[in-house]
Amino acid sequence: MNKTIVLLALAVFASPAFGGDVKVIANSSVAVAEISSDELKRVFLGTKTSLADGSRVEPVLEKGGAAHSVFLKEYLGKTEDALSTYYRSLVFTGKGSMPKVLASDAEVAAYVAKTKGAIGYVSAGAVAPGTKTLEVK
Amino acid sequence: MKVFTRFILTATLAAAAAQAQFNFELGSAPVQIHSFGSQGFAASNQNNFLTMKTSQGSFSMTDGGANVTVKISDRFRVGAQIYDSNTGEINHWHPQLDWALADYKFKDWFGIRGGKVKTTLGLFNDTQDMEFLHNWALLPQSLYPTDLRDNTIAHLGGDIYGDIQLPKAGSLSYTAYAGKGGNNRRGGYYYNLADSGAPINSYSNYVYGGDLKWNSRVPGLMTGVSVLRRSTSIVGTSLTPYGGFPYTADSSPAETVTAVYADYSKDKLHLNAEFRNDADHLNIAVLGQPSPLDASTKGWFVSGSWKLAQKLEAGAYYSAFLVEHSSTPSDPATKHIYDRVISARYDFNRIFHVKLEGHFMDGYGDYYSAHGFYLRSNPSGFKPTTNMLLLRTGFSF
Repeated sequence: MNKTIVLLALAVFASPAFGGDVKVIANSSVAVAEISSDELKRVFLGTKTSLADGSRVEPVLEKGGAAHSVFLKEYLGKTEDALSTYYRSLVFTGKGSMPKVLASDAEVAAYVAKTKGAIGYVSAGAVAPGTKTLEVK
Repeated sequence: MKVFTRFILTATLAAAAAQAQFNFELGSAPVQIHSFGSQGFAASNQNNFLTMKTSQGSFSMTDGGANVTVKISDRFRVGAQIYDSNTGEINHWHPQLDWALADYKFKDWFGIRGGKVKTTLGLFNDTQDMEFLHNWALLPQSLYPTDLRDNTIAHLGGDIYGDIQLPKAGSLSYTAYAGKGGNNRRGGYYYNLADSGAPINSYSNYVYGGDLKWNSRVPGLMTGVSVLRRSTSIVGTSLTPYGGFPYTADSSPAETVTAVYADYSKDKLHLNAEFRNDADHLNIAVLGQPSPLDASTKGWFVSGSWKLAQKLEAGAYYSAFLVEHSSTPSDPATKHIYDRVISARYDFNRIFHVKLEGHFMDGYGDYYSAHGFYLRSNPSGFKPTTNMLLLRTGFSF
């Protein structure tokens, strides 16, 4: 019985849907080491374009995947459909642009590494050379 | 049927186009191109609605648009959108510049945009043409009448806008605007006054107003308030059995539209509601003889939808449009339009969707209120109730 519980617990923690399985990464030009969850949400909703240190930031999203699902639920509090509706309402009213959307952890990491001010998210275990990991408070 | 074929062709091209890359760079400036379109079929048991021959079944409900946006710098963006539509006798395939603007964001709490700008009013004024954003095939017509969209959809002028973070209380989003209001000779306002024997020769209106949204700390909850003030000036001809006589109509005082609204979503649930008061007093003068008209109305709706499956959403709303001073008080159906609606939406993929909707309407409003019911489309008079089935499919990318 105990063995079963341990296995179940391991399965849950190993699941890609588990909240801890996403990390927020930023281009090295972003001076801050941590960001509040409110700030992070506003950056990804396009209502915050610079951080407390004055540096300009640009959000980068993943097109689906486990990290994307966790990020939407944990940090944006929106479903995939709701987020899509939000961005499209900006685009089709002239009040905003669609953020950059990339296909995989590797693409997001590569884009964030080379783009000044870029902020993205990848699976916690993903390798993201040339980027810094932001602590979300 | 020709229209339907045209839509299918457009949708097929859109599907192909959506597979292509529509984000590219012009020099170092990112460029985005987006497009949308929809085709509807409406059938009613009695009363023709929105100038379509719905009592016979009508495909005369098509619209679409395309936009391009160029990000000149982190703070500066320009763009424009073309929109075209055909709803029964309304607009009849005359493309319009929907919006065209330059937008400069100085700070997160302060930006300006100028040009032809979509007017922020209530929950959906600026997105009312984009049916793909909504669960409904037809938005609540009490507040977002498709035939009168030109009156409020955009202004030629400017906005100031911004977002302000409130310590431990969420954030506020504000917009304030001023400019020349919308005007479309092929829109419902012109059609309605011609129907009433008072065709418009010239029409102008100036608007100013604002909108304030509070994004609360309760996840998914947003509330807001909007105010729009409009000064209207009309010169027309009053058609009588004795001939045509010139008339003028001016808003006095300026028309004031006030809206309060709320939106809440959590997981599979989505709720929203809006109430609107339109205080509209017109000073009409025929051959110099003044004749005041109180055209004030109220309207509200409540709606709810539930995601039944990943691609399927079902919902319902109740919409009420109330005429304050009916010109025919003995006829109760002139005093309101109540609409009970049930709806389902299916998304085939990120681009294409289809909606099926049932409308159960009671009343048809007053002669000056329009909101879908026109004498010209119903020459033998109105029936007090209308049931309508609406099928609408569309795409966006």
